[in-house]
Amino acid sequence: MPTGGVFSGSVNLKYVKLGYQYLVNHFLTLLLVPVMAATALELARLGPGELLSLWRSLELDLVHILCSAFLVVFVGTVYVMSRPRPVYLVDYACYKPPASCRVPFATFMEHTRLISDDDKSVRFQTRILERSGLGEDTYLPPANHYIPPNPSMEASRAEAQLVIFSAIDDLVRRTGLKPKDIDILVVNCSLFSPTPSLSAMIINKYKLRSNIRSFNLSGMGCSAGLISIDLARDMLQVHPNSNALVVSTEIITPNFYQGSRRDMLLPNCLFRMGAAAILLSNRRREARRAKYRLVHVVRTHKGADDRAYRCVYQEEDDQGFSGISLSKELMAIAGDALKSNITTIGPLVLPMSEQLLFFFRLVGRKLINKTWKPYIPDFKLAFEHFCIHAGGRAVIDELQKNLQLSSRHVEASRMTLHRFGNTSSSSLWYELAYIEAKGRMRRGDRVWQIGFGSGFKCNSAVWKCLRSIKTPTNGPWDDCIHRYPVDVPEVVKL
Amino acid sequence: MELLPLLTVLLLAHAVVYLAWQAVSRRRRACCYLLDYACHKPSDDRKVTTEMAGDVIERNKRLGLSEYRFLLKVIVNSGIGEHTYCPRNVLQGREESPTHDDALEEMDNFFADAVAGVLAKTGVRARDVDLVVLNVGSFSPAPSLVSRLVHRFGMREDVMAYNLSGMGCSAGLIAVDLARNVMLTRPRTTMALVVTSESCAPNWYVGTDKSMMLGNCLFRCGGAAALLTNDPAFRGRAKMELRCLVRANIGAHDDAHAAAVHREDADGRLGVSLSKALPKAAVRAFTENLQRLAPRILPARELARFASRLLLRKLLLAPRKHTAAGNKAEGPASSPKIDFKTGVDHFCLHPGGTAVIEAVRKSLGLTAHDVEPARMTLHRWGNTSASSLWYVLSYMEAKRRLKRGDRVLMATFGSGFKCNSCYWEVTRDLADAGAWEDCIDKYPPETLVNPYMDKFGWVNDVQGQGSGFLF
Repeated sequence: MPTGGVFSGSVNLKYVKLGYQYLVNHFLTLLLVPVMAATALELARLGPGELLSLWRSLELDLVHILCSAFLVVFVGTVYVMSRPRPVYLVDYACYKPPASCRVPFATFMEHTRLISDDDKSVRFQTRILERSGLGEDTYLPPANHYIPPNPSMEASRAEAQLVIFSAIDDLVRRTGLKPKDIDILVVNCSLFSPTPSLSAMIINKYKLRSNIRSFNLSGMGCSAGLISIDLARDMLQVHPNSNALVVSTEIITPNFYQGSRRDMLLPNCLFRMGAAAILLSNRRREARRAKYRLVHVVRTHKGADDRAYRCVYQEEDDQGFSGISLSKELMAIAGDALKSNITTIGPLVLPMSEQLLFFFRLVGRKLINKTWKPYIPDFKLAFEHFCIHAGGRAVIDELQKNLQLSSRHVEASRMTLHRFGNTSSSSLWYELAYIEAKGRMRRGDRVWQIGFGSGFKCNSAVWKCLRSIKTPTNGPWDDCIHRYPVDVPEVVKL
Repeated sequence: MELLPLLTVLLLAHAVVYLAWQAVSRRRRACCYLLDYACHKPSDDRKVTTEMAGDVIERNKRLGLSEYRFLLKVIVNSGIGEHTYCPRNVLQGREESPTHDDALEEMDNFFADAVAGVLAKTGVRARDVDLVVLNVGSFSPAPSLVSRLVHRFGMREDVMAYNLSGMGCSAGLIAVDLARNVMLTRPRTTMALVVTSESCAPNWYVGTDKSMMLGNCLFRCGGAAALLTNDPAFRGRAKMELRCLVRANIGAHDDAHAAAVHREDADGRLGVSLSKALPKAAVRAFTENLQRLAPRILPARELARFASRLLLRKLLLAPRKHTAAGNKAEGPASSPKIDFKTGVDHFCLHPGGTAVIEAVRKSLGLTAHDVEPARMTLHRWGNTSASSLWYVLSYMEAKRRLKRGDRVLMATFGSGFKCNSCYWEVTRDLADAGAWEDCIDKYPPETLVNPYMDKFGWVNDVQGQGSGFLF
């Protein structure tokens, strides 16, 4: 809290702003209160006798009253029934790998030194790991613990079965979901899509119904989790009384880069094993036990722009090794994509006070003075919690700066990056689990999930919490939440 | 008029109008028109004849005589002709080491031909497309192929893009299902681009496992792009209207799930293994699908006739069971067959192989005329996986078989094991030959026998070579 005369000006401004926000956002209430007060006074002044004669003068009879009542009920019903069905998030489960899959820094560096002959790339990877924001407890699949790693299709399938089935088993335990009750299945895994698909693998393992509507999305990057949610939501709008199972994961085994190109070595250092299984439903009886309700999903695709398209690109290096190259312009492009996404989601979620400020500043820039800086809306007024894809330390820093968030708001993202690494599309669910494990999720809170991915895409989802979540949550953070938040240093000396 | 009744009437009128408008807009969104489609015709330098295929097989030094015979037997009996297309890297001798760029080049050729073609034919600009669904079975790079498409054609920022992969030969209809469901939820009318293909370049099998070599003999390059919309303004120009789509997935049965699996062989080489249980799985999935499809598309009269015959048979058969075991009067009597031709005029069957087409023909009771489009597609283009249905449809159109009011049934099978079917109604007489334009007059040919039968026909004389495969 700033003290002293020098800052008193800014403090006053802060109160002025608070007053303005309160005034605009509660405008209708503030207008109605004096009107209702005046009416009440008037009624009190008239007295009961005069009121009765006023009532009679209206010449209402039974027919009129019945018609009016019927009309009100009819219009109300029509309005309620024509609204889109709400989509509830009943529960979700994040996969917690066994301790045998742990990759502390020492293991990672030793393996790197043993696999690679190139000193330079070993040192480069060390530097990346030092500054990555990852902790000592992240996980890699069993195949990557071999020296050299064994990226066979069989090993990839084994990892897929391990992570996906564990996550779904956990979800079944938490929700009591019966496999026969699943009507829609959406699976997304970017870099591994075998035949038969992962969705067919799930149908086989859990003996799901033959008329299930399943979709297997692939190649869509770290933002694919929200694309799956969008698809599940559309399917739930079309099919009443249904359950949708969404599985988001990234299979690490086949994607180990064996070459020495620097821009392709980054994923080796950052991507880790993880998976999430989410149960969505539009059944009315689930509303009672559901955790969240889906409010909005907004998708932005910057693929038409060359730079954005080439930003995260899979290709072969000169020696023929396949890997994913991350361009140096990633941060700038992410910021750009976020701005486009915000222009669509802003009007949907921001309170009127922020929208008016933004609008007036925009008008001012165009008509009065071009040097005025664009107004960055305060999203902290629209959301209580933020889940930013834990793509890397730089991404979280960039978004914190762009959205003017405090360190508490990005704590979930930073801690997820530290504890689990970049688990790609499932990271958003680990972050949500962190917030719940900390006991911060209260009824009525709004959550904003932001995902970025190759393409270049930026996707957002807005959820509203339906019931306060009590700890302990039996999630992936249970055994270690007491240690968090930790202070993640800029550089860890290895 | 007094104030209160006036207010009442106004509100009532408003409610009625609102309700009517909601109902009408829901009906409007629910229709789904096929505006147009284009099939990919690769360049002629990618054509592969039986002799060329023989050369490619000979190059693989790991194959012994028995494998060589097996492969040639399959190719000669496959019903595939001399004008199918292969990926460039296979023809250039690089089938053992395909690069990432080879696969991307194959896709780029397809985009430039079919996707650009369908946009040009209909006059729809890329910026008008609201929804893109792409399906390519066994190749999914990062960024996704649908992003590559968005990038290449410069689509809008708010385009909804979906990339399906790994879903096998029946995924073309899964893409249509996805597009249709998303269209139903959007408040405004949607223009959807559905793109289907298969990647052959990285998937040529170079090992010695017989179950995996079939893929090399049957799968060929091809692809199709279709524009779907629910905008009633396009009704006059649309070719067909989608009436119903049924999906059946019998993956819950282990043997069906393992019927087509992409895996490593004993030597660690990747290939798609087609098991001996595949035909049985296909029949099962097909039955499952038809059981749900029939009540939705067949006229009530046919359903009643079938139901009554089934009931009669059950009643007649039951008492006879109690008579002497030697009484085989009913015995293996043919169970009553439901006649799909009462509700369907044209059958678009997946040309998975001659045996598959023959099996489907028998089970549906179709004539040679009905399965001719599928057979001819197999001959001209091979098995182009998920996009093959569009080639079959194009054949029917090129032969001027599709008239206004006709009903078309598309049915495909794929790994998983899935059977998907789709029922269309033709909205106007169709006459566009599309990819068949230069060769439709030569079809049907006098004989489908492979011209190299003389040269390689001796393989058929070889006994006991494990001919368990029905392809």
